[in-house]
Amino acid sequence: MFLRMITASLLRRRSRMLIALLSIGIGATILAGLVTIYVDVPRQMGAQFRSYGANMLVLPAEGTVMERDGLADALEKIPPDEVIGATPYRYVRLDMTSRQQSFTAAGTDFSQVPKTSPYFSIEGNYPEHTREVLAGKKIAETIGLKTGSTMELTYQPAARTEAVSPEDSRVPGAELAGNAEGFGGGIVYVSVKLDDHGAVAALEIDAGTQTPEYGGRTAEDEGFLGQFIGKTLPLTLGEDVDALSGATVTSEAVVQAVNSARKAEKAAKPQTLSFTVTGILTTGGEEEEYLFISLEDMKTLTGSEQLDVAELSVSAPAEQLEAYAEAISQENGAVRARLVKRVTRSEASVLEKLTALVFLVTLVVLLLTMICVSTTMMAVVSERRREIGLRKALGASDGSIRAEFLGEGLFLGLLGGLMGGILGFVFAQAVSVNVFGASITFQPLLLPAAILVSMVIAALSCLLPIKRAVAVDPAIVLKGE
Amino acid sequence: MLFRMIRGVLFHQKGKMLLIALTIALGASLATGMLNVVLGVEEKVNKELKNYGANIVVKPKDSSLLSDIYDVGGGAELNTAYLREDELGKLKTIFWAFNIVDFTPFLDTQVQVADNAAASLTGTWFNHHLDLPTGESLDAGIVGMRSWWDITEGRWLDEKDANASGEIMAGAALAAQYGWHAGDIIRLKGNQGEKDVTIAGIYDAGGDEDEQLYATLDLVQALTGRENEVASIEVSALTTPDNELARRAAKNPAALSSRDYETWYCTAYVSAICYQIQEVITGSVASAVRKVAESEGTILDKTKLLMILITALSLVGSALGISNLVTASVMERSKEIGLLKAIGARDRSITGVVMTEILITALLGFAAGYVMGFGFAQLIGHSVFGSSIQMDPKVAPIVAGLIALVTVAGSLPAIRMVLRLRPAEVLHGGH
Repeated sequence: MFLRMITASLLRRRSRMLIALLSIGIGATILAGLVTIYVDVPRQMGAQFRSYGANMLVLPAEGTVMERDGLADALEKIPPDEVIGATPYRYVRLDMTSRQQSFTAAGTDFSQVPKTSPYFSIEGNYPEHTREVLAGKKIAETIGLKTGSTMELTYQPAARTEAVSPEDSRVPGAELAGNAEGFGGGIVYVSVKLDDHGAVAALEIDAGTQTPEYGGRTAEDEGFLGQFIGKTLPLTLGEDVDALSGATVTSEAVVQAVNSARKAEKAAKPQTLSFTVTGILTTGGEEEEYLFISLEDMKTLTGSEQLDVAELSVSAPAEQLEAYAEAISQENGAVRARLVKRVTRSEASVLEKLTALVFLVTLVVLLLTMICVSTTMMAVVSERRREIGLRKALGASDGSIRAEFLGEGLFLGLLGGLMGGILGFVFAQAVSVNVFGASITFQPLLLPAAILVSMVIAALSCLLPIKRAVAVDPAIVLKGE
Repeated sequence: MLFRMIRGVLFHQKGKMLLIALTIALGASLATGMLNVVLGVEEKVNKELKNYGANIVVKPKDSSLLSDIYDVGGGAELNTAYLREDELGKLKTIFWAFNIVDFTPFLDTQVQVADNAAASLTGTWFNHHLDLPTGESLDAGIVGMRSWWDITEGRWLDEKDANASGEIMAGAALAAQYGWHAGDIIRLKGNQGEKDVTIAGIYDAGGDEDEQLYATLDLVQALTGRENEVASIEVSALTTPDNELARRAAKNPAALSSRDYETWYCTAYVSAICYQIQEVITGSVASAVRKVAESEGTILDKTKLLMILITALSLVGSALGISNLVTASVMERSKEIGLLKAIGARDRSITGVVMTEILITALLGFAAGYVMGFGFAQLIGHSVFGSSIQMDPKVAPIVAGLIALVTVAGSLPAIRMVLRLRPAEVLHGGH
């Protein structure tokens, strides 16, 4: 009987109920749509923020060498769908054969570069094959490179980057050569002659790259040079040899160079490759002063697969990133991960603001929509005061009238909520695809939530007008006052 | 007669009309608030994005790659061209001066610290007070441009302090290496002299800067003997995301037609601001830091689009809500309309009476809603961005038009429908 009354009432008053249903439906659509967007915004926006480039660096740990395996191990600590890109880099100085100039060259994986550095602007194309090079704009301007230009690059093996076994430097009577980085990055070269007992017999220093009035004096200062003679390698600055005053850095470099000295002919032969420029890179940053080549060419040139750094672009909130960095550094002894604070910090603060913005907007919109829904429901219900009065006059109890209207409200809430929950998702999906170009994940909890909220609001907004209608004397209601 | 009827409705059916006015007010406040937020959001988010640091770098035109190409040390020593410090104030005189949020000069050099090693020392402004030729004054410097630096010990160097030029800030890695703490006094030896300085603070920048020293520009100029010279300037500017015109202009402004040129010059594209900076700073090349400039554009565009779509949803929602309620209220009055018709009123005058009532209610609702919407916009502005949102004069007519349209669209078909019914049926009560 109860059910039949409700359905009959709904059917009879189709148009009015349609209005109420529509109103609840709109409310639920906005609720479901906005909440879905709100839940998804940090993730989607976070992905947009990756256009600032890498937010994590993976570096070799102190005293170890990182290769691609080490990087792959590190990447396993991060869920694959959160890794936007991982670009390995190896930096070396290459000499340009025709101009006798040297440039910093970066060996990298070009398939990953656009992912971690989406801001790279290239005139031409990324290299696709080996023996192709991407030239920084500044280098290109300085030496007049264009897309299609060719150049020869030579790698001069430097002893300082390779470990030297002590035995190599102890060959008596041999002429050894070594070098090390001195003041301001300039290289100091030494030639060492050892006597039959393995002690230094003669030393010659080429400190032409050092400031003449400071480090440059190491090459001529007899007192400084004299300290080396007769001592056995390896030497320690401050114990075996005192630094030349005012040239500490250069003195340290000389000692390092002497320690690393090895048979000259044992050094690897310089490798030369010919490259074609496929593109000119503009970034507005220091990358414009580099040449980019593939890791394969880098291996051919240097003979090693070691990496200096890997740039990772990971789509995750700051705390999560820290957890990943921690996991990589701890569980993998060979590499350590570091966050790029400039990016993570700024991202966290901007993202926080954006999320707060969407949250407040969602809240305000929801509040207002819900009030709109209840005013409509109230209007629809209070219209039926006459019917309520009539029923009361016929002897229906207040409770049964209330139950009937409430049931009607709940039913409308259910239907409207279901409709809105689905439409809301469709809307959120449309927003996500339009704004972020990615689809949104359906929040399964949201559908029951939308239905529940709609039912509660529908029921609540029925209650007030019913209460008023029930309270009034049926005679007055029926009279139409 | 018409007036009396309308007044009658408005005063006697207060409850119902209040409900309609309330709903319209809510819808109007929602529309007002959202439209204002959407129109103001670009500027606000743009300011937030300044957290990422400079988006324009100014360098001397002739700064060569010498130190890089020949692999010689010394950094600043070989840098032959410099910019002039006294020209920096001119940055605030360009066409888009208002969009220049912050800027700071840099001059770097190598110094020997104590007796044991070399370190890179950068001279810059921290919170440099600048009196502009225009009569304004501002504080510019890296304090505002390195928001991600953590001061782990001590404090930021304060240029307003009298002995600021006797202080430096040290990177965390460098400080750890030498065991320095805030308050320690160290000796810096540059190629033109030496000086004892106090460490004002130690910062953790999470990058290369951690192995460097930062001091006031004056100090570094004195140590290197480069009076009034700076090696580069970083500028943080509010910009408009690039479009096709901006990209064309960035390549060669001279190739634009005079009309395009004007549009480009008078829009805050990063390339236009760079161009204007070059015009005022002698011998300079200003280039956009693409990493920052490009990303800003992407994020601004996305945020704006997102807000527009949310606004559209809430506008459609409130429009439907309002027209729904108006329809309901008209249908509710079918008996009254039937009665009017039965006593001989013409359709047109009935429509006129009902519409006038509803539109007056809507007007009241709109007025209340506009004020409420203003409140919502400010609430959002203050709680999210900590500053008020400018009210756009465009919003009021847009919302008013929208409300009028929605009210008419909601009531007119309903009135027509009720009018089509025969009075007897309506009055009888069973349709």
